[in-house]
Amino acid sequence: MDLPQILANSLVRAAELSLLAIGLTMVYDILKFANFAHTDYAILGAFLVYLFNRTFGLNMFFSVMLAALVTGVVGIGIDKAVFKPLRRMEAKVVTSMICSLGIAIALRNIVRLIWTSGTKTYPLPLMRPLEILGARLTPVQIGIIFTGFISMVAFHLLLHRTKFGKALRAISDNRVLASACAIDSERMIRWMWFLACSYGVVGGTMIAVEHLLYPRLGFDIIIPVFCAAILGGIGNPYGAMLGALTLALAENIVLALDFGYLASLDGLFDFGSIQISTGYKPAISFVMLIAVLLLRPTGILGKK
Amino acid sequence: MPLINFLIYFLTMIGIYSVLAMSLNFQVGFTGLINFGQVAFFCIGAYTSSLLVVKAGAPLIVGFLGGMALSGLFGYIISIPTKSLKADYWAIATLAGGEVIRLVALNEKGLTEGAFGVMSIPQPFDWFFSRDTYPLFYLLLIVACVVTVYFALSLLTNSPFGRNLKAIRDEEDLCLSLGKNTRKLKLEAMVVAGMVAGLAGALFAHYITYISPENFRPIETFLMWAMIIVGGRGNHLGAILGAVVIQLFNISTRFIGGYVPFGSDFMSALRMVIIGVLIVLFLLYRPEGLIKERTKVYDLQGNNMK
Repeated sequence: MDLPQILANSLVRAAELSLLAIGLTMVYDILKFANFAHTDYAILGAFLVYLFNRTFGLNMFFSVMLAALVTGVVGIGIDKAVFKPLRRMEAKVVTSMICSLGIAIALRNIVRLIWTSGTKTYPLPLMRPLEILGARLTPVQIGIIFTGFISMVAFHLLLHRTKFGKALRAISDNRVLASACAIDSERMIRWMWFLACSYGVVGGTMIAVEHLLYPRLGFDIIIPVFCAAILGGIGNPYGAMLGALTLALAENIVLALDFGYLASLDGLFDFGSIQISTGYKPAISFVMLIAVLLLRPTGILGKK
Repeated sequence: MPLINFLIYFLTMIGIYSVLAMSLNFQVGFTGLINFGQVAFFCIGAYTSSLLVVKAGAPLIVGFLGGMALSGLFGYIISIPTKSLKADYWAIATLAGGEVIRLVALNEKGLTEGAFGVMSIPQPFDWFFSRDTYPLFYLLLIVACVVTVYFALSLLTNSPFGRNLKAIRDEEDLCLSLGKNTRKLKLEAMVVAGMVAGLAGALFAHYITYISPENFRPIETFLMWAMIIVGGRGNHLGAILGAVVIQLFNISTRFIGGYVPFGSDFMSALRMVIIGVLIVLFLLYRPEGLIKERTKVYDLQGNNMK
C-alpha cells in the first residue's frame, strides 16, 4: 500500500478533527458535560462561511474569521440562555448533556431552514494535486494541514503564555480556588465558549471544504470527534490532538488494508482480496471508541 | 372514510412510539442509563422480524419473538463494554452503536437489501380481515401490546428489581454499598428495554410492510427523547402521554403542510427546530415533565407517609 499517501491523508484528517476535538474537550474539562451540539455549532459556522464567501463575496480567510467570530458569539449567547441557568440551578451534568442534544437538533434544522438540506460547495478553483515526498496533495489539503498546525501552536501559546490561558487552566483545576484568586469564572466560561466555537468553525469549514457542506454534516462527524477527544483523554487538549491523529491513521490504514492477504498468512491460503467497505468508515471510530473504553477509559494521555 | 383512516394510522403510530418511549423511559427514567441510540433496538427488532418472515419463511410469531430476542441480545452486548461507565460515555457509546446498526443495515446488501429496504413484509391475520377493517384490527393489536407492556413494566418497576434500578439512578454508590450488583442490574435493565423496543420494531415493520435504513435515522431517537422529556421520566404514563403529544405535533404539522406555502423540507426542518427547542425549554422550566414521578416518603418506622 501507498504509505506516504496514507500518512498525508491522515494528517489532513487529523488537522480537521483535532480543531473540533479541542473545543469539545475544553467544554468537557471546564463544564464537565459532553456537548453534543459542538459539531453543529461548527457546521453553523461553516454555513456562515458559505454565506460570507459565496453570497457576499468576501475572500475565504475573512469569511472564516468573521464566521468564527459570529459563531463564538452564538456560543456565548446559547450558554447565557441555556447552560448558565442550568449551572445556577445546579442541575446534574446529565441535564446539560441532554439540553445540548436539544440544541444540536434545533441548530441543525435552523441551518436547514435557511440553506435547505441540499449539498453546497465553496467556490474554490479546481487545483492540480502536488507531489510531495511521494504523496499527492491538493493545495487545499496542504492549506488544511498548515491551518491546523498554526491553530495548534496558537492554542498552545494561548494556554501557556498568556494570563488568559493561566486563568482558564486555573478554573479547570479548581473553580472555587480560582474564584478565591479573583478570577471571574463566568467570564472565563464565556471566553472558553467563544474559543471552543471558533476553533470548531475552522475545523468544520475545513471538513466541508474537503468534502461537501450539508446540514447533517454536524451529526456525521460527531462520533469521530468524540472518539478523538476520548481516545486522547477527554479534558486534555493535547490528548485531543493526539487522539485525532491516532484515529485518522486508524481510519486510513484500516480502509487501505487488504484483509484477504493478511488472512492468507502471506500467500498460504487464497481468500482473494478482502477490503473493508468505505461505507463502514464511521464504524471505525466506534470500534476505536469501544476499544479505548474497555482497555483504557482515561485515554492515551489521561487527565493532565 | 379518509379521515377515519388517517385517525387510525395516527393512533397506530402513537401506539408504536408509546412502546418505544416506555422502553427508553425504563432505561433513562428508572435506571438512569442515558441511551442516545435507542433507535438501534427499533431497527434490530424491525429488521430481524421482517427478514425472518420474508427471507427465511418463518411464521410471524417466530419473527416477532426473534426480533425481541435479538434486540434484547443487543442490549446485553452494548452493556458489556459500557456497564461500568459514566453517563456521558454511555451516551456516546450508545449513539455510536445506533449508527453502526444502521450502517450494517445499509451496507450488508446480501442480508438486508441495503438502501432498497425489505419489501412486502406480511401482516399477521391479514387473511381474516377485509382491507377496510384490517387497519382497525392492527390498531387493536397495538393497543393490546401497549397495555401489556405498560402492565409488565409497571410490575417490574414496582418489584424489588425496579426499586434497585431506581436506587442505581439516584445513588449508585449507595446501591453498591448495600451489596447490590449494579453492573448486573444495569445489564438486565438493558435486556428488558431492548426486548420491549424490539417488539415495537416488529410491530412497526409488519404495519407499514416496507422498511429501509432511512426509517431508522438517529432523529427517531431524538423524537423518543422529546417524548420522555415532555411526558415526564420515571413513570410509564408520562412516556405514553409524551408519545401522544409529540406524535400529535409531528403528524398534525405534516397534515397542515398542504395549507401553508412552504415546501415539505422547510416544514420538517421547522418541526425539528420546535422539538429541539421544546426539549431545552422543558429541561429548563419543567424538568419533571407533564406527569411527575410519584415518589414515596417513608418515616423511620417504614410507614408510607403519603
